[in-house]
Amino acid sequence: MALLAVALGGAAPAPPPIRFEEIGEAAGARLPHHLRQFAGPHADVLEIFTAGGSAVAVADYDGDGDEDLFVTDSDAGRPNRLLRNERVPSGALRFTEVAAEAGVAGGNDRLSIVADALWFEADGDGRPDLLVARFGTPLLYRNLGGGRFADVTAGSGLETEFGNTIAVIAFDADGDGRLDLLLGHYFQPVNLIELPTPHVLPNNLDEAVNGGGVSLWRNLTEPGSARPRFVEVSAKAGLAAHTGWTLDVGHADLDDDGDQDLYLAGDYGTDRLYWNRGDGTFEDATKEAIGFDTKKGMNVDVGDYDRDGRLDVYVTNITDDYMRECNMLWHNEGRGADGRVRFTDVAKETGTCNTLWGWAAKFADFDNDGWEDLFAADGLRSAGPEEYIPLVLELILRPNVDFTDVRLWPAIGDRSWSGFQKKKLFRNLGGGTFKEVAAEAGVDNDRDGRGLGIADFDDDGRLDFYQTNAGQPALLYRNTSPSPGRWLGLKLAGAGANRDAIGARVMVRAGSATWVREVNGGNGYAGQSTTRIHVGLGAVEKVDSVEVRWPGGRVERFAAPLGCYTTVREGEGRAPR
Amino acid sequence: MRDGLWRGAAALLLWGALAPAAAADAPPALAQLEQAVAADPDSPRPASDYRMAAIRAGEYDRAIEFFERLVAAHPKSANAWLNYGYAYVDKIPAAGAITRVILANQSLEKFTKSIELQRAWLALYTRGNSYLYWPPIFGKGPLAVADLEEAIALVKREPQRRPVHARVYVALGDAYWRTEQPEKARAVWREGAAHFPGTPQLQARLARDGDELSAYLYNQLSPNERVDTSLAPLWAEP
Repeated sequence: MALLAVALGGAAPAPPPIRFEEIGEAAGARLPHHLRQFAGPHADVLEIFTAGGSAVAVADYDGDGDEDLFVTDSDAGRPNRLLRNERVPSGALRFTEVAAEAGVAGGNDRLSIVADALWFEADGDGRPDLLVARFGTPLLYRNLGGGRFADVTAGSGLETEFGNTIAVIAFDADGDGRLDLLLGHYFQPVNLIELPTPHVLPNNLDEAVNGGGVSLWRNLTEPGSARPRFVEVSAKAGLAAHTGWTLDVGHADLDDDGDQDLYLAGDYGTDRLYWNRGDGTFEDATKEAIGFDTKKGMNVDVGDYDRDGRLDVYVTNITDDYMRECNMLWHNEGRGADGRVRFTDVAKETGTCNTLWGWAAKFADFDNDGWEDLFAADGLRSAGPEEYIPLVLELILRPNVDFTDVRLWPAIGDRSWSGFQKKKLFRNLGGGTFKEVAAEAGVDNDRDGRGLGIADFDDDGRLDFYQTNAGQPALLYRNTSPSPGRWLGLKLAGAGANRDAIGARVMVRAGSATWVREVNGGNGYAGQSTTRIHVGLGAVEKVDSVEVRWPGGRVERFAAPLGCYTTVREGEGRAPR
Repeated sequence: MRDGLWRGAAALLLWGALAPAAAADAPPALAQLEQAVAADPDSPRPASDYRMAAIRAGEYDRAIEFFERLVAAHPKSANAWLNYGYAYVDKIPAAGAITRVILANQSLEKFTKSIELQRAWLALYTRGNSYLYWPPIFGKGPLAVADLEEAIALVKREPQRRPVHARVYVALGDAYWRTEQPEKARAVWREGAAHFPGTPQLQARLARDGDELSAYLYNQLSPNERVDTSLAPLWAEP
């Protein structure tokens, strides 16, 4: 029919609109975020360099079937917030803040700054535990059930390493069935509050090698143990040589060989891609798989935007009038003749290049048309009418300047720096192109965005999202798209300690159409989305198969009705024929 | 529609097409070209040929260091300083976003030195056009206008009108547009089109207006793609 319309010169019918309503205030979720305030003459420079830690993590922590939120704050003494989803019968969304009574409000002490958070199964008891990442040592809270948590950091091993941690994901790196932790560190491990040296900033603004890198923590927790235990294995895993300014880390089976690979987004220099050898050690494949870049990598999210069955990667960079880096949408080309997987950057070709000063960006099929869209948060610092960047230019052009020296960076005062930037929603048109529709969808806010938590908070089959902002209140967008397509939802229940089946791959088939999803453990900058699988199906009325490849390699098929969430348990499906 | 041969990065001259990359230039070939430049530092052709070879070989730093030595040996050579500036421009596409700013600034310093030695239309055009690649927030638009107005005045005094002069009309119009003087921009583009009918760069601008023209110029003045800084059109047949 579409072909006929084209042949006759008629326009194809416009797709139904994507619409959102911002309901943070009414839902009790418009939580403020406060930047860490520093003392001393370089206070505002340190403030801007640490202004990334406004984060959100989504999980059903209380096991009542709906998605709850953990939202970070960053200033000294400010509590983190745990928002319990109350499932109001009318369908309205209501959250109640319960962090203090749950015992997870702490973390912003005098010498530590909360910067990210992650729900994950540390002990395999079926209740999501909580890791709070800090510029400091991380905090690990064990979920005791009944809405209570215990701080089990001491003795877990995690307390032994100070890091300026800005990102964290959980995945089974070594295939032992337990979820390991990968922490991404921005600065080198110096305490920025005590500031023992002024030389803490990047040594090069395009190719810095004096950042914090990453650290991999192997989970050694015995089944049934109340004392989660981790050991740092970065060097053994082949990750210790990376010394970039890590802003985000992501995992997925990018080469489709059954284990979880890594993509590291680096500020001030090249991103890194590592293949998992299958035993928890990694091979740096950056050169051959993506090449070396000099961009300001901010975000890693993974999806199959073109439904070719291979997982692609979306990275935000800085694309402003003064720095036109362009984002990277890495199209997975699959295995070449040499058996190696490579990627091609198609951000320009697909129309997803420009998200200004980018932060989190995530794939999600917001209109259930069968194609994953992209929402991107952006904006660094919205303040007064004067701009900071001309002052930065003076610094950059100073001969032989030592960029690492915080004392040389000009004071910011009330100046803005890539502020008041409109958010971007790229609607996937199918066929490899996107159209920016944030304004008409009602999500083109100009806050200083950071993290995104995407989930179907009201269980209506349309994906909503929570946007955190730096030094500003968060926003909760409820999806009110009037004519979404059909969908199916899955909650995967792993048989072992990896109860959320992080790393499981789902393939849904209907006729010649295929959708691929993986359960991820925290991909995307400063935001963990739902671990439920959501697949928009467009006009498809019936799927032919729903196949799950569990993290251990077992493959099963399940029946999954459309229009609802179905829990599928490892070991209870049918073996594929 | 794009401006084809002469769009690009932080500085410059977008002359004719690059010669096809034949055999990769090995260092001995560069050494021979360096000897030719050193023997005739005031001549644009050997310097341009050398830079083109350096680009093909990816020897950007070598070219910069060579011209640094050349201007030290011939501090009064406006051509040497001009090509020294181009050598920085040639490296821009191979550098990161921040390094590009540093390179662009270095090139401006060298172009300025060349102008101080000789106020030639080519050098003024080159520096003025370079300013256009700086983001508006840095306020270099008026500097571009000043250089390019002087360049066009010198071009008009040239004994022979040559197709390469059309680029000055294009750039001056771009500078007027950048400084929010759209009527003056259109006027100079129209004047250029009258002198040089069929020039695609002028036609492309005159065919657009408003947001479409802004978007077009935004893309044309992008630092992300290599500028062809060959000076070959200077000695091409009219």
